[in-house]
Order: sequence, then structure tokens, then C-alpha cells
Amino acid sequence: MDRRNAILTGLATLLVLGGLVRAPCAQPLRTPMREPGVPGGRFVIGVTNDARTLNPIMSNETSSSEMSDLLFTALTEFDNIAQKPYPVLARSWEVSPDGLTWTWHLRRGARFSDGHPITAEDVLFSFAVAYDSTLHQSIYDLLTPHGQKMQVSAPDSYTVVTRIARPHALLVEAVGSLRILPRHVLERAWRAGRFASSYGVSTPPESLVTSGPWRLRQFVPREKTVLTGNPHWFGVDARGRRLPYLDEVVFVVVPDQNTATLKFQAGELDGIDNVKAEDYGTFARNQASGGYTLHDLGAALTSNFLWFNLNTVKQPGGRKPLGAPYADSVEYGWFSSRDFRRALSMAIDRDAIIRSIYFGEGVRNWSLMTPGYRTFFTPRTTVPDYDPAAARRLLARAGYRDRDGDGVIEDANGRPVRFTLKTNAGSTRVQMANFVRDDLARVGIQCTVAAVDFNTLLKNMREDFDYDAILAGLGAAVPPDPGMCGNFYRSSGLSHFWNTRQTRPETPEEARLDALFGELLRPGTLAARQRLSAQLDEIVDDQCWVIWLPTMKIKLPVRNRFGNAHPTILPQRLLWNIETVFVKPQGRR
Amino acid sequence: MRTFVLRRLLQLVPLLLAVAVLTFVLLKLAPGDYLTALADNPQVSAATLDTMRHRFGLDQPWTVQLLLYLKNVVLHLDFGESFSRHQPVFAVLREGLLNTLLLAMAGAVVTWGLAIPLGAWAAARQGTAVDRTLSLVAFIGLSVPEVLSGLLLLMLAANTGWFPVGGMRSLDWESLPLAGRALDVLRHLLLPALVVGLVPLASRMRQMRANLLDVLRLEYITTARAKGLDERTVVMKHALRNALNPLITLFGYTLGSLLSGSLVAEIIFSWPGLGRVTYEAILSRDQYLVVGAVLMAAVVLVLGNLVADLLLAAADPRIRHE
Repeated sequence: MDRRNAILTGLATLLVLGGLVRAPCAQPLRTPMREPGVPGGRFVIGVTNDARTLNPIMSNETSSSEMSDLLFTALTEFDNIAQKPYPVLARSWEVSPDGLTWTWHLRRGARFSDGHPITAEDVLFSFAVAYDSTLHQSIYDLLTPHGQKMQVSAPDSYTVVTRIARPHALLVEAVGSLRILPRHVLERAWRAGRFASSYGVSTPPESLVTSGPWRLRQFVPREKTVLTGNPHWFGVDARGRRLPYLDEVVFVVVPDQNTATLKFQAGELDGIDNVKAEDYGTFARNQASGGYTLHDLGAALTSNFLWFNLNTVKQPGGRKPLGAPYADSVEYGWFSSRDFRRALSMAIDRDAIIRSIYFGEGVRNWSLMTPGYRTFFTPRTTVPDYDPAAARRLLARAGYRDRDGDGVIEDANGRPVRFTLKTNAGSTRVQMANFVRDDLARVGIQCTVAAVDFNTLLKNMREDFDYDAILAGLGAAVPPDPGMCGNFYRSSGLSHFWNTRQTRPETPEEARLDALFGELLRPGTLAARQRLSAQLDEIVDDQCWVIWLPTMKIKLPVRNRFGNAHPTILPQRLLWNIETVFVKPQGRR
Repeated sequence: MRTFVLRRLLQLVPLLLAVAVLTFVLLKLAPGDYLTALADNPQVSAATLDTMRHRFGLDQPWTVQLLLYLKNVVLHLDFGESFSRHQPVFAVLREGLLNTLLLAMAGAVVTWGLAIPLGAWAAARQGTAVDRTLSLVAFIGLSVPEVLSGLLLLMLAANTGWFPVGGMRSLDWESLPLAGRALDVLRHLLLPALVVGLVPLASRMRQMRANLLDVLRLEYITTARAKGLDERTVVMKHALRNALNPLITLFGYTLGSLLSGSLVAEIIFSWPGLGRVTYEAILSRDQYLVVGAVLMAAVVLVLGNLVADLLLAAADPRIRHE
């Protein structure tokens, strides 16, 4: 071979190599993280329940969805620290000026755990399954903005276009809630009507093809679930090293919280997703010796409140005529008075509740958007907080007085003010209800606490409306946005507890709520939406439709030997960024 | 004997049908259904719930649901699917069954392994300090709730490191050699078995003591003593065997309650058993799963009693099953 030929061959090789590198045009996801890590190690987390299914479309409870969220990726994910979505499978997106057509550009080079490329076909397939009316999916509502399905199309393999009929403020979050499934694996099962039982917990790990950072290594029912890194995951760190760092994430099922605490103290767990407020002290004391940090995540996203039964008959044919209140007419008279409700709210000593029930680890709260919702929490000034003297004055002015000296006040018609407060048995809410009862007794109101089975309570509040007042609460809104709380604010909502499912708003204030909520769903600046959220709460507080009670603070322990581990208050508290978590070199065992 | 066994097994069929109907009716009498809990999710609308209720068949009157269920069971031996897991009922239950049996059997070994010798000892030393101390200890064991004894033992495990804190296997169980695996399960089994076994210990021990005392008062024992046999031979060889008969019946009941007796221990020790599956199914109104679990418990109960009857026949030549 002469010299010239050698150079030519070399050039050709270079060209071929260069071409090979450029051809797939890989666009890895640079995952945000605090510090780059090193591969290897395992994280063991204690959970109360194991997943019932690993199929993200079919899961109905958090233990399943938290697991499938790690296994399957989405166009966008939620940054739990910034509390806003960031691009994942979708590299970028744009929206038409009228806010109706959204174009999503998919990352090239993204692959499923079996090496098959993830393309627009898979996104279309996932939408088709989520919209399949023969299945029963609880994410359906989230994916139907304004109650209508999106029109989804794919002009090419790496572009997806979604069209909606009316602009919607939470469209990115809605699209991000859809997990991407492998069409090449699941389409046949779906066409054969076997989708619901596909990707159940008994699926052999090697045939469970995932799109997210993790894949299944082992599922042992009621014992443990082991996830291992998906070698084809498109997330990388700042140095271009593939994520996740950890070899394994192990979920150990520990149903009893006391056992979980002991297991953590014995070093068998690296983190727990649930700690009782009464144990915070013990955990805080042993931080140094146990080599862990008890992270203070702030106020929980769950709220507690009580409300009075103002429900009216909405459907004809029952025992009571259409429009009549379900509550006893005398009680309805008390409950429908704004002054009565405000006086009761002012009779409740919330600090005492925090001290005794939450061991001081709680905050007063006046909205579904607790202080835990960083973006939408608005500090409130004019709230009907504890002021027993003012409560008594307000009641006296409204004609409630103790006329016969028995310690119980009577209304203007001489009827003693007595009612029953229901709550679910076996929870701290019973203790909370007892505090409310004692506080109300101090202003002369006789309240009896009835602790009932949770399902009975749900039936009372949603179906037969057989109650005077109920103490309950609502869980976290996912994504954390007041736009997710339409069931509560809207007069037609299922969780508009004090008078649910109104065919048209029965009070001017509720009509105002409906209008404001409609505006909240329209795209707008963050400041404008925050203002709308605050306005909604002002109306609810001013009317005192619900009497707010404190909410607890969340603290979770995590071992110090893990880098990038910073739990957040939003769901997936410990796991939201688990693909970036790593074992610090000095912490290796 | 064979016809006796066959007849007992045939009796199972109407019994199981009755149990299925009763469980179903009781479930339907309780308020709420599987989707009630989902309605608590503020993000799920009423319309979606109605659709889901229809898909699960929960919008039908319960009588129709029951008849459909019975039809599937009788014609196709199809016991339905778990709502939450989208899996056939017995596929879900099978997983926990062996684990629960293991724990319950270990508990039974603890109970009977302690009750018989200790009861006999107490009877032989009736009225002495030994007898009184044993009953005191037994009754303390009876009165301490499982929750407390379980947590105390777990605290011991956490603080000393002698035992694992709950669970059935270590995380690296799969990588252990066979003997190591057995040893590992045994290490995990010891504390929960102790908790399960200590509960019935007091009553079994007292039973044993009373039986032995009854037998020791019989004339053939007096004869044996008059013959000049030493007390040890009298008790161990002549009295003990006859005193065991009533306990065999009790042992049959123990077999019958194998599936239900260890729920508390299963929860506290994170033991992956059947009790927890059933408990969660009842709480979440996963109706076919509940009926399936109750049916399984009924089968075990009947089989347990059958085994007890057969054991009794084997031990006592006076009893013959026709």
C-alpha cells in the first residue's frame, strides 16, 4: 500500500466514523442536578404498600402510580423544587397564537429499555390507550381539558401536535401526566382487549419494556420491588455520563409505621416516605449517630377543614322535594347563616390543636393551597381566627343566647344549638374533632363527635347527605395548581362539599367562584393566576363555607451518604429526582 | 373411613356456596364500594366515576352482581378478578398463602412445643411454686396484646442487631446458597412466630395441665403407682398419652384458624402473608378478592377439622369414623 492510499483510507475511515457519530443525532436530556455523581450503589426506601399494577394508565392509587412514574417517561416532568414542568421526552414545544395548537418536538435517539426507539407513534399509542372508553382510567379527567379529548396527530416521527377546543392553563401539565408506553409491545394486547391486565405486577421483569430511567428487576409481592437502571435512558449528567447513577432502588414494604421507624434506626432503610409527627423528636435527636438528616419539608399539601351540610335535593323522586335542604330545617337555618359559621370558626383555638395533635409540628392553614404549594400559597390577613370573645359577641348579636342558664345557647326561637360532627374513625381527625367540640362548648354550642367508618363518611358526604357537619380534608393536587381543584371551588363539583353538584350556582358568591375558576383555567401570567387563586380563597373564607383547621408539617429522614438527595413536599417526595441520586465515595460500604 | 372423608369433602360444596353468598351480602350491606375511595380524589369527576362504576359492573343491583358471580363460579370455576390488581383472585391470594401457612405453623410449633411439656410439668408439680409461676407467666403472655409484644421484640431486634427488624427475607436473599436462604428465613421467622405462638399458649397449657390432672386421678394410675413404678414413668408413659386426646381436637381448631390467626403479627413484622391481602381488600372493598379470601379460609377450616378427626381416630382406638 503506498502512502497516498493510506491517507485516503484514513480519511474515509474518519468520514465514516464521523458519520456514525452524527447519524442518530442523539439529543440526550441534560438532567438538572446539584452535583455530578458516580455510578453504583443502592437506595432502600420503606413504603407502606406495594404497587398493585405497574401499568401507568390503569393505576388508581399512589403506591402504583409512584412506581410506574419511575418506569415510564413523559413529554414533560415536574421539577419538584421549582414547582414547574420541564422538558423530558419533548425537547421543546410551541403553541399557536390562539393557544389551541401545541407542537411537541420529541428528543431524537430516545430508546425504550429494549433498545427500540421512542417515536411519535408511541406517544399517539399512549394517547389512544388513555382515551379508550372501554378501560377505566383515573387520569382521564386530567387529559381532557374543559371536558374534551385533545386531537392528537404526528406529522413526522419526532413531532406530535395536540389540538384543543379552548385554551387551557394547565395543558403542559396535562400532557405531562401521560406516561409513554411501548406501542411495539402493547398494541397487540390492547387490540385483543387485554390491556388492563398487561404490565401487572406478575409480568416477568424482562418483558416489561419501560421508557423511563428505571426498569423492573424484581417484584416480590408484599415484600419488595427492585428497580434497576434502564441502560437506554436518555438522561445524562453535566459530564455526559448516563443516568441513573444507582444500580438499584429497592422499595421494601413495611405496613406499620412503628416498624418502619425501627427499621430505619437499625440501618436497614435509607429513607422512609412517611413519619408520624410524634416521632420527629426521636428522629431529630439521633441524626448524628444514625448518619442521616431529618429534612424539614414544610407544611403538608393535605388540608383539614369542617363544613356544614347546606346540601339541597338536586334530583326529584326522593323523600324530600326538589330544592329542599337535606339537613333539619332548624339546623339549616343556623348553618346557612354566615355569621354563625364565622363565629364558630373564631371559637376554635388552632394553636392548641397544633400543640397537642401535631406536637407543635403544624401550621394554621386557610386554603387548599397550603403553604406547601410554593407557587400559589398566599398569606392571609383577614381570616376568622381564634377570638372567643368576638365569637360570643357575633352569636349574641345574631340572637343566640343562653336563655335557660344550662350552658347551651338557644337561637331566637329558643331551640338549643346542638349538632353532630362526623369524622372518620382511626385517624388524628378524631382527636381534632374532640378539640373542636371542647372549643365550641366554651361558646355554648353543644357538638357531639361521631367517628364513623371512612366509607360511611364518604357515602354521607356524597350520596345520602345524612349529616350535620363533617370534619375531613383533601389530599394533594397533582400538579400542584389550584386549577386542579375544580371539584372543590366549582358549584357543580363533587368536592364542593357544603352543597355539591349544583345544577346552577345557588348563591351569587358561588356564581362568582365559578366565573373566577373559569378564568383560572384560561392561560394567563403567573401573577394573574396567583391573584385569581387568592380571590377564590377570599370568597370561601369570607363566606366561611368551610372552617379551616391546621395542617401538619412533613419531615423525612434520609441517610447522609447519598448525594443529590433532597426530598420535597410534592408527591414522590424522596424519589422525584432519584435518577440523579448517588452514593458519595466516602459513604461506600 | 374413605366414605367419611368423601362425605366431609362433599359437604364443602354447599358450605362454600353459602359462605360466598353470605360474604357477598355482608360486603354489600356495608356502605361504599371500590370506587368510593377513588371519589375522594379531588381530580376525578363524577362522570368518570360513573363510567368506571359501569365498567366494573358496580352500577348493577347487588343481586344481579351476586347471581353473575355465582354463575361464573359454578359454570366456569371463575372466581373473578381483583379490581385493584387486574389479576384473577386466586393468583393474588396464592402469593401470600404459603407465607401465612409458614408463620402460622411456626407459631403452632411454639405453642404446642411449650404448652405440652410446661402443662405436664405444672400438673406433676400441682400447687407448688413451679405450678404457680408457670400459670403467672402464661397469663401475662395471654394478656399482653400482640401489638405490644411484637413492637417490644422489634425494639429488641433494632437495638441489639440480633434479629432483622421485620420482613421475611434479607435484601440479598437471592444471592445466598440454599442453606443460607433457609437460615435467613428462619432468622426472620423466629420473632413473629414467638408473638403468634404466645397468644394461645396460656390456654393450651392450662388445658394440658387440667387433662393430665384428670388422668392422674384415675384408678389405673393408682394401680401403676401401687405397682411401685417411679413417678416419672407413671406420668410420662401411662398418663401423658391419654391426657393428649382432648388436645388433638384443639389442635384441629388451630389448623382451622391458620389463615386468620396471624394478621396482627403479619402487619407489625411486615410479613408478606395472606392476612394483609385480605385486610386491605376489605378496606378497599375489592369485593371478589374478599370473597375469594374468605372461601379459602373456609376450606382450610374444614380441612383442619377433618385432619383433627382423623388424628383423633388414629390416636384413640375407641373412635372410628363410619
